[in-house]
Amino acid sequence: MTAQRQASSASQTPLISPAELSYLYTSLSLPDGPIRPDGRSPTQFRPLTAETDILPGTNGSARVGFADGTQAIVGVKAEVEKTVVAAEALNLSQQQTQEDYADNEGGEGQKTSSHGHGSWVQMSIEIPGFRDDDALPVFLSEMMREPLVESVAGAGDGLGGDEMAGGLKGRLVINKRWHWRLYIDVLLLSQPLSYPLPLLSLTTHLALLSTKLPKLKSKGEEDPFFDDDWNAAEYLYPRSQSGPRLSSTKQVRPPVTLLVISVGDNVIFDPNREEIAVADTVLAVSVTQDSDSDGLKLLSIRTVDPPSRLTQPGVSNSENVATLGSTAAAEEAAMTDPSTGEEVAGVWRPRRGGVKRRTIAKMLKLVLQKGGVGEEVLEGLEGVQVG
Amino acid sequence: MAITILPPVVEDVDVPYSDSEDDAMSVDSDGGVDLAAGDATRPSKRVRLVEGTNIGAGVLTPGEIVTDDPQWMRGHGTYTNPLSTSIIATVAGTVQKTNKLLSVQPLRARYTPEIGDLVVGRIVEVQSRRWKVDVAAPLLAQLPLSAINLPGGILRRRTSADELQIRTFFSEGDLVVAEVQSVHSDGGASLHTRSLKYGKLRNGVFLAVTGTGGSGASSSSVKGTSGASATGAGAGGAAGAGGVVRSRRQVWTINTANGGGDVDVILGVNGYIWISKHADGAAAASSTTENVSITRMEEMVSSSIYSSQNDDIPPQTRREIARLAQCIRVLVNGGVRVDEETVMGAYEASLQVDLEVGDEEDEEDRGKEGREYLEGDKARRILDLVLQQL
Repeated sequence: MTAQRQASSASQTPLISPAELSYLYTSLSLPDGPIRPDGRSPTQFRPLTAETDILPGTNGSARVGFADGTQAIVGVKAEVEKTVVAAEALNLSQQQTQEDYADNEGGEGQKTSSHGHGSWVQMSIEIPGFRDDDALPVFLSEMMREPLVESVAGAGDGLGGDEMAGGLKGRLVINKRWHWRLYIDVLLLSQPLSYPLPLLSLTTHLALLSTKLPKLKSKGEEDPFFDDDWNAAEYLYPRSQSGPRLSSTKQVRPPVTLLVISVGDNVIFDPNREEIAVADTVLAVSVTQDSDSDGLKLLSIRTVDPPSRLTQPGVSNSENVATLGSTAAAEEAAMTDPSTGEEVAGVWRPRRGGVKRRTIAKMLKLVLQKGGVGEEVLEGLEGVQVG
Repeated sequence: MAITILPPVVEDVDVPYSDSEDDAMSVDSDGGVDLAAGDATRPSKRVRLVEGTNIGAGVLTPGEIVTDDPQWMRGHGTYTNPLSTSIIATVAGTVQKTNKLLSVQPLRARYTPEIGDLVVGRIVEVQSRRWKVDVAAPLLAQLPLSAINLPGGILRRRTSADELQIRTFFSEGDLVVAEVQSVHSDGGASLHTRSLKYGKLRNGVFLAVTGTGGSGASSSSVKGTSGASATGAGAGGAAGAGGVVRSRRQVWTINTANGGGDVDVILGVNGYIWISKHADGAAAASSTTENVSITRMEEMVSSSIYSSQNDDIPPQTRREIARLAQCIRVLVNGGVRVDEETVMGAYEASLQVDLEVGDEEDEEDRGKEGREYLEGDKARRILDLVLQQL
């Protein structure tokens, strides 16, 4: 159980010897590009298999599996719920509605009520070996829910802009009294071999892309009444009809959270467990695409406690009793040359925190720039067959 | 392209969904295990088994009845209820039939220590006079303080000073290469490192491979002596073939290409693998054994045997070490046994594939991006080349 926990949480260290850590760190921090233990380039992701709409009882679902055997399933379920409005807000909104009716026949009623509530999206994460109130699942689910509900698209005059005004929260509003409630259930099927955030985030993204809501038949402030033809249902995140090329530049998309680490001056994407163990910094960067701007929109950056801080330091030969041969020699050496805590080449020293601004800027640039990693990931996910 | 997203691999359309799910991700899924042969349901399979045809055509799960015909005897991986005659599988695997003996070969098993095995292990616990070592066996192995080479230049008994300094030899997380000295009745092993070949590992990368490890592989090599070649021959052979095989040489040195220099590979029988830069000191010690007395050797080695400081390793060597590690991963994913022959074959093949790819994509800058990553097409090509040689 403890080993399992160590494997999954980024703040816990897997058992790795100082010699291995030192080897890894030096390999990854080489000035002319890191040499990753599995030969990937710094921005390369592990290949993954993905499919959507695998659970018939959900509004949308997806399964993603990494080549190393870890896989996750996400199911999205939508439920109609009555909106609880505070008394004064109700009065206010009623006035507004009346004005709206006077103005333009109620058709634009959506416009005014397009602010939803973050609590309408519920996310639960299940990781084998963890209780659902353990720190890791709670932290992960918050880390993924927050960008999801906060990713507000602007006024929206793009292609899908009207529907997605107010972001996901706005999309969940049916009318003033009714709204959708989304339950996102994330299930990690395998033992977490590395920090599971990227896997879970990619799976959630795909599940949300494939989520459909039944078509609304009622209008305005009537009690909601839906078309029972599932084929007529609309995507939660509208898909474009005019081919995937165009859509990838202008459509609102659910956010993706990427795990980025820095080792020395190098920036590495999709790190595996060993790579995280020697990282100087671990960042979880959430990006999304909305109809306003050309490129990607940065939603949040969170630092994840790098486990390298807690690793065991290596002992250099000059301080090692066993290598010096005898205790007396070692004591003598310790007397003449007390350990100064300086870096010795080839000896692992736990990273003591701190990251240069330059490094953070480089990480973000790699994610956000045009044709950067973020765009490629979103493009790749867009290419997955939905439906 | 930073990311590759593949459609899921469905082995067979007839297979019920949950099965194909497993198959897509399972390492052992290929290799002639035909799940959907004639829509095999349990009763029909049992009937065919009793008739003596097509045994081993399916994967059994623990608790599944292999047969209830009393003419069969139960072998490994099965048990019988004293009140009935049916033989029930205790592991997930394929049926093997030897005359009237039925046994189930597990798809994946933990390592069963045997005396004399070379293993790579990780120290997980330090006790007062011994270490507990993870060797991928069901129980932690123990390494007593009295079973290591103590520093100091001479072979000597352990002292109380050594007991106090136990962490300076090995501490938690350290990797050791050792030999199984004895196996206890409960299956736990005692290790020793009383040789110059053994000791703490540094200057390289660790790799744990799945598959049956020592136990399954050893039984498949037993089968190999009785005729069938282990790789891809029959369903049972292929399913049990992945992983490290007990073989003549578990440790060897590769002279790598691309200016990588010499690289040592240690294949632990337990499936733990260590790939490191070749240590010159040990080579000097072993090649000049004729003029170095035994006590002198101890002295030479003790200076570096418990060191956790890495030597200076040039990037070329690091690249080749990474390439070797990937080659082994490719072999394991392909269900091919891992030994000196296959690893060398895969390494040569990977170099060849690199040349081919280099010719094709010389102008494109994409070729450079992640070209050292052996996955997908490259992995398939390497596997083909390796299997051709066997």
